[in-house]
Amino acid sequence: VLVLVRSPLPRLRALLQHCWGRLERGLRPSVFGDQSPPWGPALAMQGPALVPQGINDAEVPGPLESVVWMAAPKHRRTIEVNRCRRRNPNKLIEIKRNIDVCPECGNLKQKHVLCGYCYAKVKEETRLIRMEIHKKEGGPLNAPTVETVVLYEGEKPTEKDEGKRIIERARKRPSWFVQN
Amino acid sequence: SGAAWARGLLSWARPERWLASGSLFPLSCIHTSTSLQKMGKIGKWEKKNRIVYPPQLPGEPRRPAEIYHCRREIKYSNDKMWYLAKLIKGMSIDQALAQLEFSDKKGAKVIREVLLEAQEMAVRNHNVEFKSNLHIAESQTGRGRYVKRLRCHGKGMFGMMKINRCHYFVKLVEGPPPPPEPPKTGFDQAKEYVQQLRNRTLVHTL
Repeated sequence: VLVLVRSPLPRLRALLQHCWGRLERGLRPSVFGDQSPPWGPALAMQGPALVPQGINDAEVPGPLESVVWMAAPKHRRTIEVNRCRRRNPNKLIEIKRNIDVCPECGNLKQKHVLCGYCYAKVKEETRLIRMEIHKKEGGPLNAPTVETVVLYEGEKPTEKDEGKRIIERARKRPSWFVQN
Repeated sequence: SGAAWARGLLSWARPERWLASGSLFPLSCIHTSTSLQKMGKIGKWEKKNRIVYPPQLPGEPRRPAEIYHCRREIKYSNDKMWYLAKLIKGMSIDQALAQLEFSDKKGAKVIREVLLEAQEMAVRNHNVEFKSNLHIAESQTGRGRYVKRLRCHGKGMFGMMKINRCHYFVKLVEGPPPPPEPPKTGFDQAKEYVQQLRNRTLVHTL
């Protein structure tokens, strides 16, 4: 019990101190002698019901426990480790062994692919033929129901070309465009 | 007249005149086509073409011609370009051009142009007799200047992206490509180990 008394009279103060000393010595037979008894501030009321201490907090799930823990890198990957991964032979570009020379034009071509140069040549000629066809037809949806024959300079339609639509091209026949 | 005055003013500052190369550069070009960003600074790789050796003596072994060429600030990633540079290292120029022609990468087209330019330079300026008689001694990439830009995502979010640029350097040397090194066998490693053991010396002994 902490009691604070303001004593205006020094005599009363001395009496109180004496009483207090007796109280201390009476209540606790102090073995310490020089040391002060280990008394400290305490609660006025004591009992188990006053301060609830034994309730476990683990039963209530906090907000952090409902989240699934995500994978994250723990340490920085050093440049040596990164280089080992990036320069591994399976990540390097493989050299292609299927490159040949086109027998027609001499450019390089892949074995299973048409020669790019020859294809571009044919594509260009086809474009010009299509332009001629467009000029002859004059508009969309005018395609005739008969076959088409392309004739170059100095060529006459043969008996086989009876009834076919003839497209004229004003140039010499290219060597790769075989007639019939 | 203003251009002529500027030319006359800057002609003393050009380092080309200070080199004892013996060839006269025409005064009509103030701008150098290489890396204009850094105040017209000519890079180290471009300067490597300017070294002129004295004429060789009759008994000396023939020094093969070396041609240095590069392209700066290619709009491609340094890491991705490295794979292409690693591919053509040590190949002959014809083989390298063939591989690059059928590669699907964006940098392959750029490197092919650089190689063709270098081949043309070799034949025209560097006294190379056969344009197929070249091989790639060095092929490297360098990082160019990066620029940071905003990349807009949905819901008002954004991220910062890097616009990557790279340089590409190539050195062509006349002659057939050197034969590839044979891979190190276990027997060679064992021999080296035994040799190391034999090279040990005993200290503080009789």
